[in-house]
Parts: sequence; C-alpha cells; structure tokens
Amino acid sequence: MPLHERDIHYFIEVAVAYLNKATGNEIVLREPSIEFQSLVFSACTGLVHLKGNAEGFVYLTASQHFLQNLHAARHHHNRLTDDGSRDLMSEITHAIVHNVQKRFGPSLHLSEPRIFSTVPDDPIEMPPAVFVQPLLWRKEHAYFVLGLASSEAVPPIV
Amino acid sequence: MTGTEIYKRSAAYEREAKTIRLHAPQWKLLLAFDGQRSLAEVALSADVSFADALPLTEKFLGHGWIAEEPITLDQYLKRTGAPDLSAIGAAVPPAVILHEPKSETASPPQPPPIISKPAAQPPPIAASSPPKPRGPMRLSAVVDYLTSLNGNNALGQLLVYRVFLRVPPELLQAEDIASVHLVNDTSLIKSETLQKAIITAVQEVAKRPLPDGVYAAA
Repeated sequence: MPLHERDIHYFIEVAVAYLNKATGNEIVLREPSIEFQSLVFSACTGLVHLKGNAEGFVYLTASQHFLQNLHAARHHHNRLTDDGSRDLMSEITHAIVHNVQKRFGPSLHLSEPRIFSTVPDDPIEMPPAVFVQPLLWRKEHAYFVLGLASSEAVPPIV
Repeated sequence: MTGTEIYKRSAAYEREAKTIRLHAPQWKLLLAFDGQRSLAEVALSADVSFADALPLTEKFLGHGWIAEEPITLDQYLKRTGAPDLSAIGAAVPPAVILHEPKSETASPPQPPPIISKPAAQPPPIAASSPPKPRGPMRLSAVVDYLTSLNGNNALGQLLVYRVFLRVPPELLQAEDIASVHLVNDTSLIKSETLQKAIITAVQEVAKRPLPDGVYAAA
C-alpha cells in the first residue's frame, strides 16, 4: 500500500508549522508542481534521506534573503554569513526530522540532515517525480521538496 | 464541499436571471449546473479549475441561484458504478472507498543510497482494461478531477503526485512534459501510450476511472 496523502502531507505541515512559528504565520503556500526532470536548489539546503516505510528524500531549500529575514525575525540584526545560513538551515531541518520521527517512529528512518550551499556535493539521483511546494515570505522564496522513490515499492506506514 | 455534490439552478435564478451580472466564465459555470452532474464534472465541462469553481459555487449558493439536488439511491448507485443492492433488499448505499488498501508483496528493501532506481516499472494493466483513449487529454482536467476527489485541496494535490509516481518518466519525457502545474496546467497529452499510462495510474491509485471531460474536443 502506498504512502497515504495524509502521511505525505505531514512532512509539509511540519516544515510550514516551524516556519510559521518563526515568522508569525506569514508563510504563504504557492501552488505546488510536480517535476519530472529537475530539482530546485536555492542558496542553502537541508536534505534528509528517508528509508524504511518510505524511500526517498525531503529537503528544504531557501534563498539567502529568506534566511536573512528569518534571522532578523529572531531579533538578530547582524548580517547572516554563509556559515550562519547553514547553521540556521541545520536547525530548521533538525526540527523537521525530530517532529517527523516523533510521528512515524522506528518504521521510518530519517538520515542525519545534509546541509549544503547552492547545489549538493554528491549528486542526488532523480526519483520518478518530485513534489515541489513553494513557500513565500516577504517576497522571498523557499521550496519544500519531496521525492519518493515510487509509491509502488512503499509499504504502509501504520 | 467535496466536488461530488449535484446542484441545479433554482427558481430564484429563473426570476433574477435578467438582472444578474457576471463575468463570462462565471456564466459558463452557472449555466453548467444541470441537476445531473457533480460539481467536479460541471467544473470540468465549464473549463474552470476545481479550485476556482469552489468559491464561485459558494457565491451562487449564497445568492440562491443554485440549490443542491438530492438524488435517489438508484441514481447514486448508477453514479458510483456500484452494484444495485436494492435488488436483493439491502437498501444501503455501499461505501465509496477511494484509497482502499490492498495487500501487496512488499519489495525487498533497497540498499542505503537514497534512490536506487529512478523509475518503477509501469504497473500491469488491470484485469478490466482501461477504456480506449480518445483525442488529446487535458492535463489540467486530470489534475482538477483528481484534486476534487479528496475534498481537501492539499491532499488532492498529493494524490496527483502519487498518481504521477506511477507514470513512467520516459513517457512523460517523450511528450516533452517536464512538470505538472497543479493549477491551470496547459499541457495536452496526445500520446496514446502516455494517456493509457495515466488512465491506469489513476485507476490504481484513485480507484476511479477518468471522466470523459478530461479529453479535449477533437
């Protein structure tokens, strides 16, 4: 049985809830798309591999300005460095992992987040299709991307 | 509002029709409510996305120009394609299950790398073969139909994703489809092979056949 939409959507809910908490509920969800040939990467990305009841990956990728605004929303007024961006993305991604793991338990294994700037050092193999959910905040974009290997091979999450 | 409701234009509409002012696409939707087809089917026939049709339908309801049309058990059973249990005295509408779990032999666990194989093999054609495709298929209509099935836009869009996980990527590539926009996609699918793959994927995932409205007029 393939992963149910409610389970898939939980990944997005967790990410959006975290960002909404940080931004005062100002995250706008734009219309998503399904991509077959390419992945979208912005300035900084936090990627997590999924194994077990779901095979694939999820990642959040955000522009430098998006992260800078997020940094400022926490009352930090200094300029966000590249290292600072990666730290911030790492914090967000770990929070997503923590919440997803809490819901699915040991039936779903989430890897340690990989944080990188621009594009990944190691190539990521393109799954049959990826679901791309654009997020907009103060005219800056971030993208939540979900790539499942195939719904055929995924046993149920209980 | 899930898209399965059936509405027809009301007596209030008949009284007020001459004074109603709407944009042309809104008229097209309003005039399509015939007391026969579901909201999702009406939206498809009027070339209005389900997401756009929802607020318009609520507006029409608010003005009292349309009203929900109750249907009989017989009509309901015909619409769902379920067997008529009334014939054996059990007047209980069967549940419509969109995501019925089915037992599958789990494939062996994949090795650690994130995704070992980009594309699954296309699923076998179901015992009841899908209908023969006609004309070009409007991708937007397929998306709108699938989205309407769930009663929740976000979950409906993920249903679309699950469907396209089962469509062989090489067929999409051959048709120059690099992405599916989940609102107002303008792609037309002419390849019969790709149409059949989509029909099969929809049947497998959504447990429903695609309606005729997904095909563009020849």
